Amino acid sequence: MKGVELSTGFQRAVCSVCRPRRPRSDASKHLVKRIRYPVSSASFSTSPTRRATDLTPASNRGIAAAPFSFGGDSEDSGLLKRVRVVPASPSYFSGKPDFTDSLLSLQALLRKYQTLPTVPAGQAPRVAWKTLAQFRLSLSEPVKAAKYHKIVEVLHRLNHIHPSLMPEEVLEALQKHKRDINPFENVANPRFIDGYGRAWGTGRRKASVATACVVEGEGEVLVNGKTLTQFFGRLHDRESVIWALKSTQRIDKYNIWALVKGGGTTGQAEALTLAVGKALMVHEPLLKPALRRAGCVTRDPRRVERKKPGHVKARKMPTWVKR
Amino acid sequence: MPSSRCLLRLPHPPSSLLAAPIAPHTSTSLRHAAPFSASASQCMPAPAKKKGVTFGGPPARGTKALRIKKTVRQSTARPPAPGERRALRKRIVLSNTNALEVAGLRDATLDSLVDEAMVGKVVGLPGQVVDSLRVVEAFKVHQGWGLFRRPACLVRKETVEIGRVVAEAEEQKTTRRVVLCGERNSGKSVLLLQGLAGAFMRGWVVLNFPEAKDLTIGHTAYSPIPNTTPTQYAQRTYTANLLSQISKANASVLSALQITQSHDLPMPLQRNLTLDRLCELGARDPDIAWPIFQALWKELTAPGRPPVFMALDGLAHVMRLSAYLAPDTKPIHAHDLALVNHFVEYLSGQKQLGNGGVVMAAVSESNQPRTPALEHAPRRKQPESFLEHQLRQLKHWNPYVKGDERVIKALDGVEVLRLKGLSREEARGVMEYYAASGMLRNTVTEGFVSEKWSLAGQGIVGELERAAVRLRV
Repeated sequence: MKGVELSTGFQRAVCSVCRPRRPRSDASKHLVKRIRYPVSSASFSTSPTRRATDLTPASNRGIAAAPFSFGGDSEDSGLLKRVRVVPASPSYFSGKPDFTDSLLSLQALLRKYQTLPTVPAGQAPRVAWKTLAQFRLSLSEPVKAAKYHKIVEVLHRLNHIHPSLMPEEVLEALQKHKRDINPFENVANPRFIDGYGRAWGTGRRKASVATACVVEGEGEVLVNGKTLTQFFGRLHDRESVIWALKSTQRIDKYNIWALVKGGGTTGQAEALTLAVGKALMVHEPLLKPALRRAGCVTRDPRRVERKKPGHVKARKMPTWVKR
Repeated sequence: MPSSRCLLRLPHPPSSLLAAPIAPHTSTSLRHAAPFSASASQCMPAPAKKKGVTFGGPPARGTKALRIKKTVRQSTARPPAPGERRALRKRIVLSNTNALEVAGLRDATLDSLVDEAMVGKVVGLPGQVVDSLRVVEAFKVHQGWGLFRRPACLVRKETVEIGRVVAEAEEQKTTRRVVLCGERNSGKSVLLLQGLAGAFMRGWVVLNFPEAKDLTIGHTAYSPIPNTTPTQYAQRTYTANLLSQISKANASVLSALQITQSHDLPMPLQRNLTLDRLCELGARDPDIAWPIFQALWKELTAPGRPPVFMALDGLAHVMRLSAYLAPDTKPIHAHDLALVNHFVEYLSGQKQLGNGGVVMAAVSESNQPRTPALEHAPRRKQPESFLEHQLRQLKHWNPYVKGDERVIKALDGVEVLRLKGLSREEARGVMEYYAASGMLRNTVTEGFVSEKWSLAGQGIVGELERAAVRLRV
């Protein structure tokens, strides 16, 4: 085994002396592909390309010891370049090179453009950055949450550069870290009061769907063409229907005309709560906080839980019998 | 009356029985020949339980398990006597001693029931009127009389309308025919009661059928009246009870009136017999109740007598086939029952009350009979009661729906008073009364009234009471 390794190692060395097995140009191309950033002349690098740039007379004043000369022959250094295996990224030894590279590149960008004017906090366009899981997936490196947070902080700062002065370079960098779909672009259609003074709202609960039309009036309610007492036998359900108006003390200010289908009585009544609440918000948008406190804004997402195999119902297990 | 002609409670036979022609003649033979019965005494005893392995039996041999003997408790309670439960169910409570006496509650007068200024105010019913109304069973259970200190009712817009109808009928000596329709719990029966109260206060003779269902569902004895075409059927027990109610409720009026006409009765009558005594005679003996009722009616329609107020609740029940069977096993139309026919003749305008009067009927929305003809009717936008449909048939004939010709004729030309919800002012008035009685603890404000008004389906009065008083949180 050992003999084999030795022999192949020797063969390789011989080959590399004769002919460059892996052209250096390829490696340098690969390096160029990565985002380069200005490095202070005092920095230390193990990569050959870097060393080539660093081998200037000025760099001799650096902190590190002077580079070791292998004879000063240009032919020799060319040989060395061919013989030595060098990592593509200088962050190779950090363990998470891609992460480190992206963080450093973003920080470099920020350093470059930190003098550009910014918009006030909170007024930058809302962007959803990649989640930690998505980021890990794109790098295939085990990045910790706290580390990723550093990247997000820089992204956030860069996003606050004034849009009219936003450099192309930054836009490209930001684009890489955005989610494929920006959820903040999904804006609800604005609702208006129509020519007849009607405002429409839709609400859902369990399996029921309700559409309510709210007009200014004096507290009359029709659900599917029936009055409240004819449609809902239960007083609690009737109260649910007009709850949005009751909680804002507007029962005698509006009339409700609603259509509801699907589900049972409770579901229909509570779907109507939401529908009336939304329609009322069209008339008076300032009521939204009050309606939210009253529970007339958020849809209750609960549905019937599915039955599982081996269970009698969703969770119920059959009775234990001895035999 | 010979027993062979008396058919007691003959229900619809099952279809298997109908296939074979059976001509039942006497009730007794039928009762003895009943092949099966639902009553406990005639049922076969239940089969004894098998003594075998049961699910919760002793554990198998060799197992150690805790054995706990269940103690069987013998109930010492007395089972309810026959009729006791019914009495409890039908009990009318007109007073709640825990409710506060409402200060400034005025009694209803003849004027207050006609005065528009009184709309939205609650008036108490005078004691004598309450007694009379109680006798004619005008108060119903679940109307909420037992929630307050004394019977009182709201004067609403329709009350004044009815009051005017009564007043006009008295002045012009005409017969007014009114049918009360409206949503469930909208106050139809109470409006009928207000009409009755007005009639009692005016010194009219009042005749009330508190529940039309009792006449037609086959729960009281019936027998054919000889020499009538088509054959009519008298309900003697019911008639006797009705006569007793008439004599008690109208005692003050009838005791002042004496017989003036000659009657063909099975027994001789005293010369100066007062009408309430006449009623009592009929009430005492069901066999002569129907002839006596006819005699009474002859006396009442004679000139110079007081006007008459006839009322019936649950109209739809008398506007269809009854549950009684004719000897040929065909169902009897409700209009062939003598008492119903008597009422319907006046409701349809076929006969007029000579001294003036009102014939008033209320529809019940909570107790409506099934009508097969309507079930196949095409779907309608508005829910419509049986009676409303029949009334519409008068205007717009729908050839695809089977209408009952007799019913349509009976309802031709009646005044229909459709009850809706209370107005806000009326709702406020009645809620202030609730609050003054101590049954409503909230302060009656504009917002509170409008909330309850909306919850009660735009002021349906029964629902208003339910939301404000009964379901108090």
